[in-house]
Amino acid sequence: MTSLIDTTIYSAITEAIRVEAARILSEGEVTAVVGYAAARRKGSAQPIVINTAADAGQLIFTPSCVNNLAVYLTKAKKEISKTGKIGIVVKGCDLKALVGLMGESQLKREDMYLIGVPCIGVLASTVQPATGLTAETIAPKCTECDAHLPQGCDFVPAQTPVVTKLEHKYAAEIARLEALTPAERWAYWKEQFTKCIKCYACRQVCPFCFCEQCLCDRNKPQMVDTTPRPAGNAAWHIVRAMHLAGRCAGCAECERVCPMDIPLNLLNRKMAMELKELYDYEAGFDVLDKGPLTMFTDKDDQSFIK
Amino acid sequence: MCDHTNKNIYLPYLATVEEVIDETPDVRTLKLVFQDEKVRDSFVFRAGQFGEYSAFGAGESTFCIASSPTRKGHIECCFRSVGRVTEELRRLEVGDTMGVRGPYGNSFPIEDFYGKNLVFVAGGIALPPLRTLIWNCLDLRDKFGDITIVYGARTESDLVYKRELQEWQERGDVRLVKTVDPGGNSPDWDGKVGFVPTVLEEAAPSAENSIALVCGPPIMIKFTLPVFERLGFTDEQVYTTLENRMKCGLGKCGRCNVGNVYVCKDGPVFTAKQVKAMPMEF
Amino acid sequence: MQKYISQHNLDTLLDTLIKRGIRVVAPRMNAGIPLYEPLGSSGEVVSDTLPRRSAKEAFFPVCEDIMSYKKEGQKVTITDIDPGRFPETVLFGVRPCDAAAIPVLDAVFSWDYKDEFFLERRKKTTIIGLACTAADDACFCTAVGLSPSASKGSDLFLTALEGGGYACDTCSEKGEALIANNQALFDGPSTSNPIPFAEPQTDTFDLTKVKAWLNDHFEDPLWDGIATRCVGCGACAFVCPACHCFDIVDEGTEKAGKRRKNWDACGFWKFTHHASGHNPRDLQPKRYRNRIMHKFKYYDDKFGQTLCTGCGRCVRICPVGIDIAAIVEEINKK
Repeated sequence: MTSLIDTTIYSAITEAIRVEAARILSEGEVTAVVGYAAARRKGSAQPIVINTAADAGQLIFTPSCVNNLAVYLTKAKKEISKTGKIGIVVKGCDLKALVGLMGESQLKREDMYLIGVPCIGVLASTVQPATGLTAETIAPKCTECDAHLPQGCDFVPAQTPVVTKLEHKYAAEIARLEALTPAERWAYWKEQFTKCIKCYACRQVCPFCFCEQCLCDRNKPQMVDTTPRPAGNAAWHIVRAMHLAGRCAGCAECERVCPMDIPLNLLNRKMAMELKELYDYEAGFDVLDKGPLTMFTDKDDQSFIK
Repeated sequence: MCDHTNKNIYLPYLATVEEVIDETPDVRTLKLVFQDEKVRDSFVFRAGQFGEYSAFGAGESTFCIASSPTRKGHIECCFRSVGRVTEELRRLEVGDTMGVRGPYGNSFPIEDFYGKNLVFVAGGIALPPLRTLIWNCLDLRDKFGDITIVYGARTESDLVYKRELQEWQERGDVRLVKTVDPGGNSPDWDGKVGFVPTVLEEAAPSAENSIALVCGPPIMIKFTLPVFERLGFTDEQVYTTLENRMKCGLGKCGRCNVGNVYVCKDGPVFTAKQVKAMPMEF
Repeated sequence: MQKYISQHNLDTLLDTLIKRGIRVVAPRMNAGIPLYEPLGSSGEVVSDTLPRRSAKEAFFPVCEDIMSYKKEGQKVTITDIDPGRFPETVLFGVRPCDAAAIPVLDAVFSWDYKDEFFLERRKKTTIIGLACTAADDACFCTAVGLSPSASKGSDLFLTALEGGGYACDTCSEKGEALIANNQALFDGPSTSNPIPFAEPQTDTFDLTKVKAWLNDHFEDPLWDGIATRCVGCGACAFVCPACHCFDIVDEGTEKAGKRRKNWDACGFWKFTHHASGHNPRDLQPKRYRNRIMHKFKYYDDKFGQTLCTGCGRCVRICPVGIDIAAIVEEINKK
């Protein structure tokens, strides 16, 4: 049993979020705040949208606050009122998605009030919500986090996240897969994709899957088979990974929510590595960035043209 | 009910396209003959029932059976080309093969209408579900009182079954009131100009010993039902047929329900009273 | 009469069945997750965890061919699927919440039109249930009138005993036949105590009261409150032992292909979307409402049964923490 990672600052952060949310709601600075609230199961949390200062007391921040709430600000979520400025609780990893969405002209900075969270880490999807945070139970993405303290927010609680150095889980797994032969690697992914049941949870939680109608939901023509069979599953996951290349900043929501535990973020991280290598580009840092795959310069790598 | 000789309830009958009729620029009628002679006899349906029509390779689509049960030997479907299946069905030519499952769903209780006056009201592409009943009644003309048909579309070109409208107009035993939306008429249009509910109100069919049969887009239904109320029709006197997205047509796949009503099994024909008892989810 | 079977004899039973050519489906690991899948041998069984997907797929697979078509000129040939191809199956190690859902599904697949794909498999499958000894706080079988020791849906029902082996209750003729064909592996009843059953920590719902509320609250702020956070995926429906909605699609080339039936979910916007563009359930709260209504009202209206067995899978996997037990509990308190 490894020792608990110290998350005691989360209670002070919870308090600070409540006070700030109550303030911006009561002063009319925002019309709603998207944050986290406790749910029925012990230690669990779920997204919540509050509209009044009186409800701010429901907001929490705990190791169970895993969701990337940025998805609620995209046009895919029509149910959330977009009238007026919205407050949103963001971890550093979630903020990268908002930065990307601003770069893609999906969101405007002035329409959001960002409540940044100094974050030490959140729980992996594979453990019960009441579990303590350890090197084993922490979400894999948190082991390689470079954004414990979100930058450029409107408000960040004063607490400083003290971070334990952990083994980089994705880097290790990508290295393992890269050492395989292409045939072995394909066998690995084929086995993983066999589990896919096309529930599209990966797509629905992804802040960048905001297309009004996904290519995979179109049927004129039917580009990707809709049934959960090998051909359509592989096609879907390849389409998804390619469409996120240079955009995904690694919130790993796709992987967290996959009910079949398909390690989808490995594909995203591999794509990010390629983008870094080819274009020296990392998504999620600069609002003005359009991303190398949405632009052309004559300095671009063209080695793929043979 | 469908007496499927096959155990596989999802297996369609094969049918040959015998005739292709363009009703409007994007609405087409296909006249179909079952390839299996036995099915030609055994496929018995009632006005109001629907089928699942296959364009093999594209899938199935749900439409009413648009021809009258009194016209034997073939069936007709009529569809607007809007989706993957309907576009594929539109590519079929005379002699091509398609699939048909059915007949499914309930039907108009035509026997209950004997001796009564009938008022048919339809809008646009929604005439086919009533046209099956219209011909059924016209083929048994003696059994009914006055027959009034109020039919409208956006433009003249959007009116389906134009030849038959002409035929109904020329028959002495049917009162046809045809209309197009304002702006949808050419200089030589001989019908009314106005929306269906308004034209219906002007036509003012009597509710006395009458049955109303309404089919159209949700917005037309919404404005037509109050007109019938004002004309004195009770909700039991008004029938409509609902169309929801369906896949199986057999009460299994779970998507056509309006509240606890499965349109494919409990419908598609409902009285206005039944429709008003449903939650607003159609 | 209750019988006893040792762990060794149980393994022998499963291996013997496999050798006889009977398909034995049980919880086993596949690429890191437990799933109900055909076994190669008894050693593959993992009995200490609830499979990620329910046992419904032994009867209603994620995707299956329902016919094939071939086009030649103007002619089309279609080929039926022979229901005789469904193998004789023993479905082993089924949790009470999964087993209980199977007879519930019988209703929809057999009313009026008979779905032979489901019913043939059903006819050819013997279900061996296993009492549940471990629950987490997502479990709520007791809340919907079942229990960790409920044998509903099972043909044979096993209860693990202190000191090893299982008490075996016969619940149907199929179960009797399985014992009769393998007499030597079973002994008379054991006096050992069962390993304590799991104890889900939820109050029992008054399902009649819940339904009465649903009857009158098609429109209610509750739906917006819960479902605004719903992201519209199909995960809850797909892991559910009782959800049974499906799609029918053609896949293949211009010339030849298959018609397939595959799982679908009422949470998807596309599910009820008309080709015209109209969508009767155009917003997520309406779609989520349908899920609750179907489970606790519509299915009861139609078939007199509740379409939920409290397995808790949807609670565990919902990407945004929507908790059906918490929702029904809230309705129950109204």
